[in-house]
Amino acid sequence: MKGSQVVSSVDSVTGIREDRLLRRFRKQASLQAFVLLGMAFLLVFSFAPLFGVIMAFKDYKISTGIAGIFTSEWVGLRYFHEMINDYMFPTLVRNTLAISLLKLVFSFPVPILLAIMINEVRNSVVKRFVQTVSYLPHFISWVVVVGMSYAFFSTEYGLINDALTSLGIISQPLDILTNPDSFWGLVVGSAIWKEAGWWTIIFLAAIAGIDPTLYEAAEMDGAGRLKRIWHVTLPGMKSSIVVVLILSIGSMLGGGLVGSNFEQAMLLGNSINSDKSQIIQTYAFNVGLAEGRFAFATMIDLVQSIISVFLILTSNYIARRVSGTGLY
Amino acid sequence: MRRRRTREDRIVDGVNYTLLAIISIVMLYPFYYVFIASFNLGSDTARGGLYLFPRAFTLNNYEFFFNDPNWTRAFLITVLRTIIGTTLSILFTCLVSYGLSKPYLLFKRVYFLIIVIAMNVSGGLIAYYVVLRSIGLLNSFAVYVIPTMLNLFFLLIAVSFFREIPEELAESARMDGASEMTIFARIIMPVSLPLVATMCLFIGSGQWNSWLDSAYFVQGQSLRTLSYRMIEVMNQTLVSSDTAAAQFMTNLQLTQFSVQATAMIISVLPIMCVYPFIQKYFVQGMMLGSVKG
Repeated sequence: MKGSQVVSSVDSVTGIREDRLLRRFRKQASLQAFVLLGMAFLLVFSFAPLFGVIMAFKDYKISTGIAGIFTSEWVGLRYFHEMINDYMFPTLVRNTLAISLLKLVFSFPVPILLAIMINEVRNSVVKRFVQTVSYLPHFISWVVVVGMSYAFFSTEYGLINDALTSLGIISQPLDILTNPDSFWGLVVGSAIWKEAGWWTIIFLAAIAGIDPTLYEAAEMDGAGRLKRIWHVTLPGMKSSIVVVLILSIGSMLGGGLVGSNFEQAMLLGNSINSDKSQIIQTYAFNVGLAEGRFAFATMIDLVQSIISVFLILTSNYIARRVSGTGLY
Repeated sequence: MRRRRTREDRIVDGVNYTLLAIISIVMLYPFYYVFIASFNLGSDTARGGLYLFPRAFTLNNYEFFFNDPNWTRAFLITVLRTIIGTTLSILFTCLVSYGLSKPYLLFKRVYFLIIVIAMNVSGGLIAYYVVLRSIGLLNSFAVYVIPTMLNLFFLLIAVSFFREIPEELAESARMDGASEMTIFARIIMPVSLPLVATMCLFIGSGQWNSWLDSAYFVQGQSLRTLSYRMIEVMNQTLVSSDTAAAQFMTNLQLTQFSVQATAMIISVLPIMCVYPFIQKYFVQGMMLGSVKG
């Protein structure tokens, strides 16, 4: 008797609660509708591809459409084995790692140095000018950047070859665009040109946050310009440097902060330099779309995604252990 | 008190100014060179030695560009996708963010969890392609403007922006019986101009510059964008140049490079024009974004 009473009162409490929840929900129904529209969008364009990843383990045919992802037969790790036994695989891994590491090593210090240099300018007009000019290319497309590298490095009409030949420094035009040996340098160089200025914004903001009395104190102690940069400016940028470093390492396989390995390899790569220009992502894309091997290509994508997530978590962990600053 | 300049000051300044001058030239000269090449007769540029000023000034390249149906069509498609895609993306992203910005929204945590997952994990390009294909977006103009409608990076920025807007503004309108949609359109959007300006520049330049969707998600010439056409022409110059089109261009004293340079200038110009006006907003936007990580 008592027991049933208790049950019924609990029932009515949750009933009231549900009722209230429903009323509150109805009251904000239009707001909920806005948000649910967004969620529906994510379901289609983010989560459907995410679930689509299971086709990496299936014998999937594109002709079966999206339903085929679920109905096709499981093949386990067949495509994983196919991938590691692919004749291109070692080359792809080498190129991806080499380009990513070169970009990290050479492009990471550039915005830091540039920010310090810009900060040392006293004249505000000059300062603004240099800053504006340095991040101008951030907004133009990789296609235009590649077009510019053609304009300067082409063997037929490139300005640099033209200038060097007419000065008599070289007798034969230098082959930079199709030479496999110059590909990595070309990619890293043009990425720095395009994106380094953009990242100075963050470092300049960090410098702006440094307490000016620190500089005065350093000067009292007899520190010159270089000493002040070393002992005041650089330590003041430390936490930004750590954050940006984490971001760079985490997104390393995609090209880090200086942008898209994929777009660059796609646009600057050609049949002559493919030995140095094919990376994991472009290979997956070509194999998938040109040869129609969707399941195999998805497996390659999946492996790269897993390595990326691993990189993000590790770099964050190390940063937190070393300096006490992490992102998560 | 004016500090006395020491010897070190002078050396540091000298080296610094020299380096910054070189950097500025390296950043600007490529734009300038392409610019003068687009106003120079192609056959004359091919002789070499064009460094500072157009030697044989001509508007031939631009005339060719705007009379060639492939280029003009690509140009129009690019303009259209930029206007439609940017408008859709700003409106939709802001609308969803407006709902999310309300502290009393039910299931808020669930929604944000979904967003964070969507931001950090992706199924890769191939799975994405399969989805686009199966919902029938391939080979249509919609593939340029629909999948980009929700920008998650700006969604987070917009949510924190809308939270700063005093709730009283919306509340008084609600008293007068205005719907949430009206409040969003009439009150929230008009006071969010700095946000909208920043989104315009970033999303707009993304749309304007995009080439991957045009290269792989559509087929045939009718939907190709400016960026895609440029890639096509570049690849031709690299491989060979002995086609009928090349002959036609020779008659006009154009080269593939001079037309290419013209297309590049046309592609860069709109961005250069809006850039100075929006600059002060996007530096703030960048900082906001970076803090959010």
